[in-house]
Parts: sequence; structure tokens; C-alpha cells
Amino acid sequence: MFSAVLATLPPWLVGRRTLGYAALVAMIVLPLTANPYWLFVGNTLLIYVILATGLNLLVGFAGQLAFANAAMFGIGAYGTGLTQVDFGFPFFLAAPCGTVLAVGFGTILAFPALRLSGLYLGLATLAFAQIAQWVFMHWETVTFGAGGFKVPPVSFAPLPISDAKGLYYLTLLIAVVVVLLAANIVRSRIGRAFVAIRDGAVAAESIGIDLLRYKALAFGLSGLTAGIAGALYSGLLNFVAPESFDLFQMMMQKAMIVVGGLGSIAGSVIGATLLTLVLEALRGVKSWQEIAFGALLLGFVILVPNGLADFLRRHVPGWREPLIHPAFSGDIDATTTEPVPAPALPQIGAIGAEAITPAAPLLEGAARQ
Amino acid sequence: MTAVLEVDHVTVAFGGVNALDDVELAVGEAEIHGVIGPNGAGKTTLLNVICGLAKCSSGQVRLMGTDITGRKPSDIARQGLGRTFQTSQLFQGMTVLENLVCGLHRRTKAGLLAAAFRTAAARLEEERTIEAARKALEFVGMEQFRDRPATMLSFGQQRVVEIARTLMAEPAIVLLDEPAVGLSLNRIAELDLLLRRIRDERGVTLVMIEHVIRLVMGVCDQVTVLSGGVRIAQGTPDAVRDDPDVITAYLGKELHARSDRA
Repeated sequence: MFSAVLATLPPWLVGRRTLGYAALVAMIVLPLTANPYWLFVGNTLLIYVILATGLNLLVGFAGQLAFANAAMFGIGAYGTGLTQVDFGFPFFLAAPCGTVLAVGFGTILAFPALRLSGLYLGLATLAFAQIAQWVFMHWETVTFGAGGFKVPPVSFAPLPISDAKGLYYLTLLIAVVVVLLAANIVRSRIGRAFVAIRDGAVAAESIGIDLLRYKALAFGLSGLTAGIAGALYSGLLNFVAPESFDLFQMMMQKAMIVVGGLGSIAGSVIGATLLTLVLEALRGVKSWQEIAFGALLLGFVILVPNGLADFLRRHVPGWREPLIHPAFSGDIDATTTEPVPAPALPQIGAIGAEAITPAAPLLEGAARQ
Repeated sequence: MTAVLEVDHVTVAFGGVNALDDVELAVGEAEIHGVIGPNGAGKTTLLNVICGLAKCSSGQVRLMGTDITGRKPSDIARQGLGRTFQTSQLFQGMTVLENLVCGLHRRTKAGLLAAAFRTAAARLEEERTIEAARKALEFVGMEQFRDRPATMLSFGQQRVVEIARTLMAEPAIVLLDEPAVGLSLNRIAELDLLLRRIRDERGVTLVMIEHVIRLVMGVCDQVTVLSGGVRIAQGTPDAVRDDPDVITAYLGKELHARSDRA
């Protein structure tokens, strides 16, 4: 029914591209109308778009079940914050430092991923995340411990723009660039190599795809986006503390890509947007926030098991997802399943007879005697 | 003429058991070489050693004269060796065309930045790759399936697409692990034709493990027989068929003895 209604609309009005443009315009206009609270929510949302896009490259495309995303996010934030506080770096120098640190740690995680897969990789990366959390908490001489530390606000001094709006537009610019580049990567040979590793590591190797190289690349890219997001997050909150990078944070980012759709860049954006807004809406019920959030996730997993991107792909005419996740392919729409005539192969009879007769004696001969 | 593939006194020991014991194999250019033997003879282990998935305890594997013993599977693939598997190993999340495009991975170059920014060179390479994939699909007669998800092909079609995917990178040699398993007689006849065309039109050397003896005897130029990890015979299909050791390995000693008396 949903798709029937959509099919009556002009094609330019429906589809991924239109939705993308509409969202972009909305995000550009937002600071002109919003109060500081909604500007903050919008900025958070964009940071989650960056996080979810990078995480989906690693988990949804390359198929690496890794749980270190919140830790990477934290390393980016701590790296950015600490270089400002300790060395007096300006934000625009500190942010690249934090990002490089996150990429470094992210890439190192590819080495256990070479030997471990599935749940075992999940456990190893979870252990890494807990160690990172412990270091944030207890290495007080460097990280200022559980209480966290303040970071100076990001200044856009020569530009005629407020700090908050400046950071918002910077985040928007980065989010757009990250999403576009990620979308390009997944439909290139690199994206296909990721999916090949996800769908069959042995077959991937046998066609010359170097597992270490592409796993390291996937971990590095997700470290890159997590690092950038962490840097922006430290600038947004002007405060860095361990509790921002705990298990709930990790779960939420995972939930974004699952709800949005594993193996879909558009899904990452949709999932990040939806869950950020849901989380904000649930702020009113404070103590129930996590329970309500969990119940919502459960509902989504039951009702839209393959994520919103898959739902849209099936119901919106012209919505394409470049590399479909195996879970999706169960019910490809009827247009692709119509019977195709069998390929015509010449001389089946002749070749068959010639090939089949001479071999017979090996077994039949002995049996006859 | 130098051999495309040489397996030189290879032994593979799993604990105290020798899965392969001092096995030798030499495969010439544009030859279809069959490897047969009872279950547990070490056939798949032999393929795994050649393509780098298993390590040998001693011996050497050479591909066109280059020692490839103990190298990574992806390195060996880049040297010009392709392989298919007993169970379909198509990438499930991709269409037929995307699977084939993947097959050309090692001969394409676009790096991270070129891919991320979709540079002109990357786009051109992409177009050429898709064109090559289209040609490969045509070669195996499956062009009408190009946009189908790999999961929606029949068993036999998946086999053929997998073979086409290995052909994409123009390998010198392809290892086939039981390509005919689970196929009907008609499909086996089609496979027979396809293998001959791969050898004759593309000049690709094939090494094939197969239990369907009639396919092996019909299409292979040379046959190696393994039993219990030992090579017990090698030669033309006709010579191998009459070899007493081979008949013993397949049918047992007593039966063979009885057939001698008769």
C-alpha cells in the first residue's frame, strides 16, 4: 500500500537523492530558526551521522563485529581535549591530533581481527573498549580521572559567526563530506573488497584480496570517523569525561546502524537521525529513558528486521542500495525474480555422449566380472 | 616447455598423520589435469597447499617456475592462480555482475583516495571492469543473469558464475574443487564443454578434483590418482583406467583379485 501511494508521485519527489537534499536544506536552515537547545541537538545528530557512517563501513560492509567504536570516539575526544589543555594547541591543530590517535588505535585493532572473527572478535574489541574506559577513569595524572576536564570553546574568531553556529556548520560540512566519500567508497573496488571479506573471507583471498590490508583499512576508516566525531564532540560539550564513551554509547551507535540498515550508507544517516531524536524525546522521562529506548529498539528489530534502508528499498520506487546485505536478499522484489530462459548451450547431446561413454568401464567393467 | 604448475615432493602432516606423502605433480600449459582418488585421499589438501590455504611440512610448489611455497593465498592469486570451491563461494550480498567485477580486483588499481573522490581514472577503470565482467558473462552464457543477486541462482549457475569470476583476472591456471558435484547429467555435459572452451579459447590450465569419473575421463588430458595421501598413478585417462593399483584403490584388493581370476 505504502509503495502504491509512492508510485503515484512524480519520481523526482521520491527516492534517496531527494530525501538527502531535503535533509541537507533542513540542516542548513536549522541554525537560523532554532534556539540554542535545538542547535545543540542538531549538532549532536550530525556527530552521530559521522559515527554511524564510519561504523557501518566496518560492521555493515566489511562485516567485522567490533565493539570498540565508543572507545575510538573517546580516544578522539581525549586526544583533542588533552592536546589543547596540556600543550595549549588551538582546536584546529588539536582535532587532527586526536583523529590521528584514533586512526592509529583503530588500525592496530585490525591485527586481532586477522585471527579472530564473529563473537571472538566482538569479545576482544569489547575488552579493548573496557580497557580504554578504565584508562580514561583511572590514569588520573593524564586524563583527570572520572570527573573529566573542561576544554576551551572552539573559536571561529575572524569569521562573523557565533561559536555554537560555527561548530554546527563545521560539523555539517564534515558530515556531508564523510557521507559522500563513504558512499563513493562503498561502490568502488574497495567497498566490494569489504563486502567480499564479509561474505566469504576464503573466496576473497582466492581472488587476490589481501585480508590484512582491507581489514586494516576498514578499521582505520572507522577509527578516522570516530576520531573526527570525538574531536567535534569535545568542542561541542567543552567537556570530556569517561561516561560519554561507555557501553551505552557503544550500544547506541550499534543500534543506529542496525535500525538504519547494515551495509547501507543512507541507512546510517537515517538510523543516526532517528535514534538521536528518539533519545532527545525520551529525555523527559529521565529514569525510563534507557528502558524506553531498549523497548523501541526491540520493536524495530522485530518489525523492520533488516533496517529502514531495506524497508525503503523495497517500498520506494527507484531507491537503490548498491551492495545488498545477505539478510536483504531473502525477498528481492518481484521484478528481479521473473523467470529467465536457460542459456542455450550448443551440442549438449554430442558432447555428453562422447564424454560419458568411455569412462564407464572403470567401474562397470570390474563389476561385471 | 616448462610446466605451469609443479608440485615437488610435497608432504603435509597433520599431527602424526600424513595427509599428503611425498606427492609430485606437474601440469603443462593449457592442459586439463584431473585429480581423482577415494574419499580422504588428500585431494582437497593438495589444492589447499597449492593455493596457499594449507602449509606443507616439506616440499615445494612452483607456479611458472616461481617458488610459491608458504606464500599468502592473496599473493599466490596475484601470481596468476585462480580457484573455485566445493561449495559455492559467491559473495551473497552482490549481484552476479558485482561478483564478477570483484574477480578483477587484483588487476585494478584505484586506491582509497581515488575511490573516495571518484577520480576520472577510477571511473574509467570501473567502466572497463564492468565491460570485462559483461564479456566474461557472455563467455559462459549467463549474460541475462547479470543483475540477479547471487543467492537467487541455481546450484549449477552459481558454479558457472564462480568459474567466470576466477577467469576475470586472466589467470594462468585455475584449480577446480569438484565442479560437477550435485549437477545433473545435462549440466555435467555443459560443464564438460565449458572446461574445454576455457582451455582451448583462453589457454588456461585447469587442475580439477572430481568424483564424476566420466567427466574426468572425457575431458582431462592427464589424470593423477591419489590414495591415502600417496600418488598411486599418473598418466592419460586410458592408462590410469587400466592401472591395477587404481582399480585396487577404488574397489579393494579382494574384488580386484577376483576379477583377475575371472
